[in-house]
Amino acid sequence: MWEFMRHLKYRTLPAVLVLVVGLTGCVTNVMVEGTVPVPLVAKIPATIGVHFSDEFKTFTYKEVIRESGTWKIDLGRQNLRFFRNLLSSMFDGVEEVPEPPFQPGEMQHLDGVIVPRIVKYGFLTPAISGLKFYSASIQYQILLYDRGGDVVGDWNIVGYGKSEGGSFGAHAALGEATMLAIRDGGARIAIEMSQQPQIITWLEKLNSTGVE
Amino acid sequence: MNHKVIAVFLVVLTTGCVTSRIEQTREAATGITADEAMVILGRATYSERQTEKSFTDCIANILAKGPNPIRLIPDKEFKDNLYPWFEPRTAPTSADELGRLFAQPGVQDRINEANVRYLAWIDGNTVTVDSGGSMSCTIGTFGGGCFGMSYWEEDASYEASIWDLRNLVSAGQISADANGTSYLAGLILPIPILARPGNAACKGLAKQLREFVIGDQ
Repeated sequence: MWEFMRHLKYRTLPAVLVLVVGLTGCVTNVMVEGTVPVPLVAKIPATIGVHFSDEFKTFTYKEVIRESGTWKIDLGRQNLRFFRNLLSSMFDGVEEVPEPPFQPGEMQHLDGVIVPRIVKYGFLTPAISGLKFYSASIQYQILLYDRGGDVVGDWNIVGYGKSEGGSFGAHAALGEATMLAIRDGGARIAIEMSQQPQIITWLEKLNSTGVE
Repeated sequence: MNHKVIAVFLVVLTTGCVTSRIEQTREAATGITADEAMVILGRATYSERQTEKSFTDCIANILAKGPNPIRLIPDKEFKDNLYPWFEPRTAPTSADELGRLFAQPGVQDRINEANVRYLAWIDGNTVTVDSGGSMSCTIGTFGGGCFGMSYWEEDASYEASIWDLRNLVSAGQISADANGTSYLAGLILPIPILARPGNAACKGLAKQLREFVIGDQ
């Protein structure tokens, strides 16, 4: 029956979409939800501060697509939950701090400060890509400051996610694709952060200077 | 009685033919106890295709029931418990990588806690390889109807790679291929004659997978 429905879909979906979009005021609101797993990685031996900007906390993406109306993806809340949990599991100690630049001596009790940022978010619908999936990508920038307030690390990661459109509504499929993109970006951060040359140099410096 | 005959006739009439083939390669002896579990995971890549969730769900549903049910850990639960090691871009691609994965802190403990003995990776998909014909439907003041005929041929091709997580080796592979053509005939009412190669591949693969995992015990 699924194959039958899928076959019919190609003929009837455009008309149904036009009708639905017309009736709902042309806005598809996408909520991003999902579990927040604790990463199973060795902790980096450092106590850090982390600054989540207001833009990061409330990140919302809006795009108008001529064929399917306005899409509004609210990923800030879930992304923040994910990053709070991720960073807490990756370091010996984590506390949230104000935005850099710091006052002299303000961060002396910390080994460094991390500031994550969403640089870019993008998505594709099946109508655009010609594939069966909704896909999403998120580009993150991770800035690492030393306790003196100088940037000692600048790292970009792209997370990808895709979800079948067949069994979900468009908003649910894109929400899941976005959640998978957050997970993918988080997985790369969890696994690869401790292998980054800038992080290795920073940790070596911390170890060589002891409590500095 | 007449209703039953009509129902059987309709089912036969609206079911298309599917040809399927199952093949198996064994690399190690297998067996599973009642308290040991298995995980079914679909391979996801960032190409244009990936194993459909509905297919892995179909296999899991069959394996969890029947005369010799196998204890299954849901894929989402398994991935969350072992995050970030089984995400699409971080998951091991061959059993040779299991040793390195199990050396990561906590991974071996989590697998042992859940008592997962086998991991089956399902890779493949169902694609439409041919389609044609035409059908049009009209509706007017005095009624309506559909006329014409369209068809589409689907090919389902899947492979299960079974890894033994206790011995950290590949236990073998099972492949399932099925092909079938569906028709939609318009004779006032649209009459579908559906072949379901994906469903046939699922049933064939699940049956063989159960026998494979239970082994000679």
